Amino acid sequence: MMRAIETRKKVVTGIFVVLLVAFVLFPFAVMISMSLKEPDEQFTVPPRLIPQRPTVVNYFHVFGRGSMFARYFLNSFLVAGSTTLVVVAVAIFSSYGFARLYFPGRMGFFTLLLLSQLFPLAAIIVPLYRIMSRVGLIDSFLSLIIAYLAFSVPVGVWLLRGFFTGIPRDLEEAALIDGCTRWQAFWKVVLPLVRPGIGATASYVFFITWQEFMFALTFITSAEKRTLPRGIFDFVGQYETIWGNLMAASVLICVPVFVIFLFVQRHLVGGLTEGAVKG
Amino acid sequence: MKREWISGYLFILPSLVLLAVLLFYPLVLTFIYSLSDMSLTATRYLGINAYQRLLASPMLARVLTNSLLWTVLVIIFQFILGLSSAILLNRSFFGRTLVRGIVILPWVMPGVVAAMVWRLLYDPQLGMINHYLRTLGIIDRPLTWLSLPGLALYAVIIAAIWKGFPFSTLMYLAGLQTVPVELYEASEIDGAGDWGKFFHVTLPSMRSIITITLLLTFIWTFNYFELVYVMTGGGPAESSHIFPTYIYDLGFRRFRFGEASRFAVIDFIILLVFSLIYVRLSLKRGSME
Repeated sequence: MMRAIETRKKVVTGIFVVLLVAFVLFPFAVMISMSLKEPDEQFTVPPRLIPQRPTVVNYFHVFGRGSMFARYFLNSFLVAGSTTLVVVAVAIFSSYGFARLYFPGRMGFFTLLLLSQLFPLAAIIVPLYRIMSRVGLIDSFLSLIIAYLAFSVPVGVWLLRGFFTGIPRDLEEAALIDGCTRWQAFWKVVLPLVRPGIGATASYVFFITWQEFMFALTFITSAEKRTLPRGIFDFVGQYETIWGNLMAASVLICVPVFVIFLFVQRHLVGGLTEGAVKG
Repeated sequence: MKREWISGYLFILPSLVLLAVLLFYPLVLTFIYSLSDMSLTATRYLGINAYQRLLASPMLARVLTNSLLWTVLVIIFQFILGLSSAILLNRSFFGRTLVRGIVILPWVMPGVVAAMVWRLLYDPQLGMINHYLRTLGIIDRPLTWLSLPGLALYAVIIAAIWKGFPFSTLMYLAGLQTVPVELYEASEIDGAGDWGKFFHVTLPSMRSIITITLLLTFIWTFNYFELVYVMTGGGPAESSHIFPTYIYDLGFRRFRFGEASRFAVIDFIILLVFSLIYVRLSLKRGSME
């Protein structure tokens, strides 16, 4: 009797797991399948999920003559990478300050930082655009990097602070007793321990800036400076979309963030959930 | 002690400066712009009349309704799907680690890419959704999901639920692991069934993580731009605009900066008021227990 119930529970679990995985993977399957279809087959009606003669020719087309996709890839790496470096540099200090140092107004400033999560970016895009054009930065990578700092610095500080609070305070105190200055305790003792947290924070910032679309659409006007989320529209035709190329490009855009995520998943998920619980 | 104060301020200074220059100062400018009819070429100060004009605009009511519908439906379904999939993935079964990794994928997929893939899924000829619905006999001819005024926003809502629910799954999965096992054992002794345990042990223990997750998904969904923009562009006939897409449309397709700023101000106020009320309520309920 007990065993029958156990078995039934297992079967039910199995069925739901399969349903969940199917729901999650179906759009991925469609994306990959279309990216592997030959040009003729891409427009076959009704569509087939499994390509009849799979080919990687679309992936070559994406980088083919007249395509600036490789350029967009480089641009995206440049913009997301630079933003990540700046955010990490700023966040290391601020999050340590918020996690460990006592000063009047600490909670108030931290609340202000959290409050910035509320900011609809659409609400500041008009003034930022006007400021950028006044100082002549429109259509430059720098304008994107600066705009990205607006939303990624608060997230970075918030995430990294969670990792700092996870380090036992005794370690620092022991270092201080041993004659370290506060700065040495921070630089030599705490910072090395929080390295996985820095990796996770950097990955998250890279992840959100890699896919940023609204500022990329607004601030960049010349084609050769586009980043990927804007550049992918090259494959959307005015009258007819070349779906095979578009989906091959989509797969390629996913690859870097999926690879990064694979490596930092555990730390990142821990940081996100813990940061949220501790507020 | 004083030394620690100084180093504290020095440590947080860079992030506060960035915050002030890149968020708070532009926000103040948005308020100022909103009182004018600023365009690319000219600016005329309108004062409070500007807002009278806004209230008369039929688009305000539409964008407001769409935004609320969009946000509420997306967060409700992400909550249900997130919590139930977390409970499922918390059970032990073969290949659990792999499945947990797979389930996160939609959340990791860049937003514009997700929007493109869902455009393909909804395509009248090439889309799998129409194909399967026809095979099953649910519809008799292909639907143009993204160009029917009553349907477009709902079609994007489904895509948004798929795209975002894994974040809730992650949070709730972490939350489930913090529920003390003794509580389950105790309620089992009290004769509670699976549902009893869910309502009396699981949900109450996860209250704080649910509160935070709902707040975060609310803010992110309300501000989500690219899915609606790429899938429908706010169309057909401006029927599917939400705040971020309409602000962008006014500002950078029609260059009506003043009007865009007025919508931005309303957008900001709604988010602020909702979040403050929500935090207030959840703190109050938290302290009563």
